[in-house]
Amino acid sequence: MTAPARPPGQAESGSGWYVYGVVPATETPEGLFDGVDGVGGGTVRLITAGQLAAIATDVPLAEFGEAAIAENLRDPAWLERGVRAHEAVLQAALAALPVVPFRFGTIYRGEDHVREMLSEQERLTDALDRVRGRVELGVKGFLSPVALESEPSGEEDAMSAGRRYLVEKQRDRQLADEREALKARWAEESHRRLAAVAEGATANPVQSREISGRDEEMFLNGAYLVATEREPQFRAVLAELGRELGASGALYELTGPWPPYNFVEDPA
Amino acid sequence: MNGASPAAQQEVTLLELVDRVLNKGVVLTGDVTLSVADVDLVYVGLRVLLASVGTLEQLESSPQ
Repeated sequence: MTAPARPPGQAESGSGWYVYGVVPATETPEGLFDGVDGVGGGTVRLITAGQLAAIATDVPLAEFGEAAIAENLRDPAWLERGVRAHEAVLQAALAALPVVPFRFGTIYRGEDHVREMLSEQERLTDALDRVRGRVELGVKGFLSPVALESEPSGEEDAMSAGRRYLVEKQRDRQLADEREALKARWAEESHRRLAAVAEGATANPVQSREISGRDEEMFLNGAYLVATEREPQFRAVLAELGRELGASGALYELTGPWPPYNFVEDPA
Repeated sequence: MNGASPAAQQEVTLLELVDRVLNKGVVLTGDVTLSVADVDLVYVGLRVLLASVGTLEQLESSPQ
């Protein structure tokens, strides 16, 4: 399905179907998306093929065509509206039934193309089975800046300025090593204990302080697929970690429930 | 930044969303699909945005 070549800078005309994700066709209640605005402000509806239904919105290609979408992504206001709408639609679905989320910006030129995709993708059925009755929870772990701050030994006063500089330099280096070791140990222990009460677990790369927007260094950026009935247990383990490691300067942040974004791509 | 301004917190939440919505989920080749390069550009844009929010805050909160 290749797009006809067009001179650069010229907007595409016509419309396409923006697909948010997939749900089981037979389980969708009436009015599931009432009052929920789709991307571009459009209406949300289902396109069904066999056992599967795609959650979709009719979008103008002038805004969501290949060139237009690449351009629009650079506009933070457009991007924010888009990702928030994408998430809101999936959250509405998640409240009622299992959902397999797609990545932002998956668009088909016609309803027949959406149906074709649904009937060709057996892995979507597998993914739906995998996430049924489960939610994704996010846990970030942070190391408080006060953890591991060294006390001056008092010996420094008797040293020459040059000697003191060297001693302090060495202590800084040693402290940095200790912090790294501590973060690795906490990451491993936290992830292991949380994964033990989850059906799936993934440790994503930690974010820099610039990205996380916090003073604390992140040591864990985990996502967990948790069975609904085990959610209280998961929260209890997290609270326990907060008490045990919190005494040494660990802070945890729980987000979700999310649509299972981290658990729908090909399992190993 | 325990006393992060609401504006800064909102940006972080947006990033949390972007991290999932643009990076995760099923990737299918639709008739229109985002390229990896496009997604990378979003991150570059957001970093600049977040960095400038942080800088602004520091400027505002630094005692004169």
